[in-house]
Amino acid sequence: MTTTMAENERKLAHDVLRIRHWQHLVNEGLKKNAFPVPLHKAFGHEAVAVAVSNAMQPQDQLALTHRNMAYNFARAGALQPIWDEYKNKPTGLGQGCLGSMNLANVGRGIVYTSSILGNNVSVACGLAMAMKMRGVEGFVTVVTGDGAMEEGSFYESLVFAKSHQLPLVFLVENNNFSMSSTIPERRCPIAIAHLCQAVDLPYCCLTGNNVFDYAARFADYRELVVKRQSPAVVEALVTNHYRHAGPTPGFPGDPMNIDMKNGLLVKASDEDPVFVLQANMKAAEFQELESQVLAEKWSD
Amino acid sequence: MANYIQGMNQLITAYAANIPGACLYGQNLNNGTFISGLTKKLVAHPTGRVVNTGNCENTLCGVGFGMMLGGVTSIYFVKQLDFMLLGLDHFVNTYNFIRSSRDLSKLGSFTIILLVCDQGMQGAQSSGNSFGDYASLARIPCFTLTNSADADQVLRTQLTAPGFRMIALNMRHFRSEFLQLNAVYATKDSTVFQYTEGAGATIVSFNFSLPEGLAVHKAFAGAGLSASLFSVNYAPVVDWSRIKQSVAQTKRLVILDDSKSVHLPCYQLLDELHAEGLAFKRDVVTRQRIEYGVSPEPFLVDPQAIVAKLG
Repeated sequence: MTTTMAENERKLAHDVLRIRHWQHLVNEGLKKNAFPVPLHKAFGHEAVAVAVSNAMQPQDQLALTHRNMAYNFARAGALQPIWDEYKNKPTGLGQGCLGSMNLANVGRGIVYTSSILGNNVSVACGLAMAMKMRGVEGFVTVVTGDGAMEEGSFYESLVFAKSHQLPLVFLVENNNFSMSSTIPERRCPIAIAHLCQAVDLPYCCLTGNNVFDYAARFADYRELVVKRQSPAVVEALVTNHYRHAGPTPGFPGDPMNIDMKNGLLVKASDEDPVFVLQANMKAAEFQELESQVLAEKWSD
Repeated sequence: MANYIQGMNQLITAYAANIPGACLYGQNLNNGTFISGLTKKLVAHPTGRVVNTGNCENTLCGVGFGMMLGGVTSIYFVKQLDFMLLGLDHFVNTYNFIRSSRDLSKLGSFTIILLVCDQGMQGAQSSGNSFGDYASLARIPCFTLTNSADADQVLRTQLTAPGFRMIALNMRHFRSEFLQLNAVYATKDSTVFQYTEGAGATIVSFNFSLPEGLAVHKAFAGAGLSASLFSVNYAPVVDWSRIKQSVAQTKRLVILDDSKSVHLPCYQLLDELHAEGLAFKRDVVTRQRIEYGVSPEPFLVDPQAIVAKLG
């Protein structure tokens, strides 16, 4: 895509860059030990987060995991309330009670966020059941990962959602890691497509980190799930860059190694949604948008 | 004359059927033994539904909290308390998230109704059938239904109340007569019920030991002593004031606690009484040590011996 962008595409691109910018700001704060709580950054998760947020209608709901930063940023109108929440301030989005790993935003559809792996999938089933019982024409997206899907509740919830025909999308962010273990280091491969076939669920896999492609395909899935009143599974292959949340310097992927002064990009490959975005936009248009995002006031 | 499970089933189904928009769900709700008779003839309000589910207890607990967040009131019926070991993560983490971030009065209500297997010979699961331990770990109210009065108040006030709680019936008394009692006093939160007023002794029954408490009350009457009889439920905070007043007056305390916990809830009452420096005679009857394997797990109460000791 190198033609002039339509307004909705420009918004998608803007949102990817804004989330990236905010993550850099948070990372700079982390480098100065500004936050009392651990933060799980999501460099690399921006495209799928923007796609999900873009598809959501006012009645739709989202249930997140401990690594919720990209989604919370995608749904938020401003960084400051989240920044304050990360600092446990009463002015925070959750009045300083939720911190990072449980951060929700009910007014923007994020109704539940679990710091416990796998807890959110069954809660999302309940949310979708409530939606169905109340006759709300919407859907629920539950974000999980290649680590959380190892929990038994993931499989139970797939069966429960299908058995009761719930309007629910299971979004598996597959970043290959559970803490510091890769999939081959901790378990056998799981073919999610085959799993879905076994319980008769639609499945698609998002690859390439192209926000325009992801947004179109996720919107299609919303329509499918709402129309059929039946669940579906979307797997998104993502690379989580500089993901380390702990205080151990020198850990591979240590966020101390990146600096916002070097630009928003964190990796010059299609593993970085910003790189993919840049490749799909005219250079001048990208630069203008990037400058606009960097110039946006966020306070503090 | 109805027995315990028949009487409880009639009350529970009557209340459940009158909750608009409620989801009544669980395994084997509307077939087979109807969860040992617990859910026989269960029907939902015309605007609600009965949902028969598969075997996935952890998920079913999460589903209840999800419906709570979605504004739907639900009751999850469970065969045995120890199944809820699989739901503890939700009771603690999910409910704490909800309690700390949302106005409960604007959400749906979530109740789990279950059976405690306390008739002995339950094998490996037995020590996990300690209702109070769940209440303590998750810091939630847990109610034991022992008779018509506590069942009526608990079901009437709790099934649509904001928040989450568990309500338990016990299997030891399944075939016993359904006790028709009137409470002379009850706390609004249903944690303390008083069934008789007397100046000679104070009897406090914990967990499901009210029938044994009635037997002790009768023995005191036979010895010419009138006794106050209480039954106590589990809650993070219990208002002990009425019981303390009674002990201060009677100076005789009988505690009956058939719980299976290492940390019995009656210890809290004893601590409170000692902290006030009250002088009183006492007899505390608890279960014998719970064996790890299969055992009868008897809860043995000798009313005459208690009266002889305190009389």
